Amino acid sequence: MAAQLPEADAQVPSLALAPAGAELERPRGGWLRQLDVLVPGTILVFLLFLFFVWPVIGPVGKPTGGNILNANIEPWSAGHIFGTDPVGNDIWSRILYGGRNSIEIAFSVQFVGLVLGGAVGAIAAYWGGAVDMVLMRVLDVLIAFPALVLALAIAESLGPSKSHTILALCFFSVPAFARVSRAATLRLRERPFMLAARLSGTGTGRILLRHITPNVLPQLVTFALLGMGIIIILEGALSFFGLGVPPPNPSWGNMIFEGQGILSAEPRLVLVPSAFLFITVLTFNLLGDALRSRWSSV
Amino acid sequence: MTGSPALRLIGKRLATAIPVLWGVTFLTFVVINRLPTDAAQQLLGVNATPQQIEELRQKLNLDEPLFSRYFSWLGDVLSGNLGRSFASDQTVTSILSERLPVTLELLAYALIVSLLFTVPVAVLAARRPNGVVDRITMTLSMLGLSMANYVLALILVYIFAVKLEWLPAIGYVNPSDGIWPFIKSLTLPAISIGFPLFCFYTRLLRADILEQMQGEDYVVTAAAKGAGPWRVLIRHALPNSLFGLLTVVAVNIGTLVGVTVIIESIFALPGIGGALLEAINNRDILVVQGIVLVLATVVVVANLVTDLLYAVLDPRIRYGRPAS
Repeated sequence: MAAQLPEADAQVPSLALAPAGAELERPRGGWLRQLDVLVPGTILVFLLFLFFVWPVIGPVGKPTGGNILNANIEPWSAGHIFGTDPVGNDIWSRILYGGRNSIEIAFSVQFVGLVLGGAVGAIAAYWGGAVDMVLMRVLDVLIAFPALVLALAIAESLGPSKSHTILALCFFSVPAFARVSRAATLRLRERPFMLAARLSGTGTGRILLRHITPNVLPQLVTFALLGMGIIIILEGALSFFGLGVPPPNPSWGNMIFEGQGILSAEPRLVLVPSAFLFITVLTFNLLGDALRSRWSSV
Repeated sequence: MTGSPALRLIGKRLATAIPVLWGVTFLTFVVINRLPTDAAQQLLGVNATPQQIEELRQKLNLDEPLFSRYFSWLGDVLSGNLGRSFASDQTVTSILSERLPVTLELLAYALIVSLLFTVPVAVLAARRPNGVVDRITMTLSMLGLSMANYVLALILVYIFAVKLEWLPAIGYVNPSDGIWPFIKSLTLPAISIGFPLFCFYTRLLRADILEQMQGEDYVVTAAAKGAGPWRVLIRHALPNSLFGLLTVVAVNIGTLVGVTVIIESIFALPGIGGALLEAINNRDILVVQGIVLVLATVVVVANLVTDLLYAVLDPRIRYGRPAS
């Protein structure tokens, strides 16, 4: 269902690259009308700079191996903007490295989901019939499968680590992407240009790659952006069950989980990572929402 | 093919629902059995001798091959027997009947409260798109959607339990021990689950109402017959949009169950989530299987009921043609 905003009415509902003659119209009114993309876009670039570049070039301490003598330093003290945690690690530094972990995990998960799920969905819709039937039932099983069982099983049998977190979360993203991609491909299948391609003897591989992919990709990318926030939140949730980034390596999820125990005494241990989690997720949501109203699909 | 179209549809949907249930339980069985330690080792602990472990393994039938154990479980389930827990010797049915109500009460509380707020707020917002109410609603709901429910839960605990001491931070009160304490014990968890839902549903319902108001002929007809804007909105557009909302609610119940697990663990509620965690930890396969079966059934039935509701209300689907 397209959560179409009234401002987006001027835009064509069909896809950006559809060869049927529909072209993406830019919203009228110059750059002011683009603020819905520009503002979250700028914030996102700033956040990425903070998480990926600043720890390399700036005066940021190590996120782990803190000295217990420096434990529980108050916020706003010299060298520790947000103070230190109960084992003496600088919270600001843990926030930055944790942010890097969150973004890396969410990006990997969405990338795998987009490529794998996108391919599965397109193939299911293009071939139809028994292939579609079987692939969709497999996805139904994955969707109805309690994610927690899977996540815990991965944690127990493979041990908690960043790559296993990514693996566990891919079980959420792949079926979701596959459904979006299938629905988008189904809509394309009946379009005249597809028939034209088939009639002129284009091979299946080429049709999938050159005709379906470019038409489905904008929707999938928008869906990926909208899902970034969800994956970042889920990654944090996994920390509550012992999967997720294993401590002492920081992630916002394990920081919140560790702070939960001493919430009444030291609320900042929960509040600081929560605030960064919130801002980052909000940024991705705003950006995804703005792009969606451009394409008014997904 | 005879019989009414509705019956045929039910048959078709059931034919796809059963393989899904079978797949989910089989996958769970395989996954739990693939874990590095089994129930005998988990229950006896690290100090057990290999001989003790072997004895318990035989007692629990863990030495039999995976397939024969799965199919004997399946046979038992079909005859209505979910088996017994390895850890406590309780029947799985009694564990379920003890734990499931807590989770269902929590879910029902969260859903009812969020829907009660969603409908009036979405209607007010949709009355004047881009008006003040609409903008406030859209901003608030975007903020709410960006907040992880475990973060919301912890912030609520900090404000209402630690600072104001209005509501309990953890624990569950049985409704038989007083309805008011029971409601109080579930309020913070229900808000943690319900507020993001409210934000999600409100955006959805508002968008759907706007879509109806802009494009649909019946809206134009109603307005042409002289119905006022509120009447068109509430009596004509809203019922149609509510239908779409209910579909999403039903489809989302599966995801909601996952969300409940983490909220239950934060608030120490004795629901199905805690039972599942404990059972996985003990490799208590039959309990895991029982819970997974119930959860997957809820998801499948919710989808099924939605499909059927659609068919009941929209003849185009009943007769095999897709809607729109």
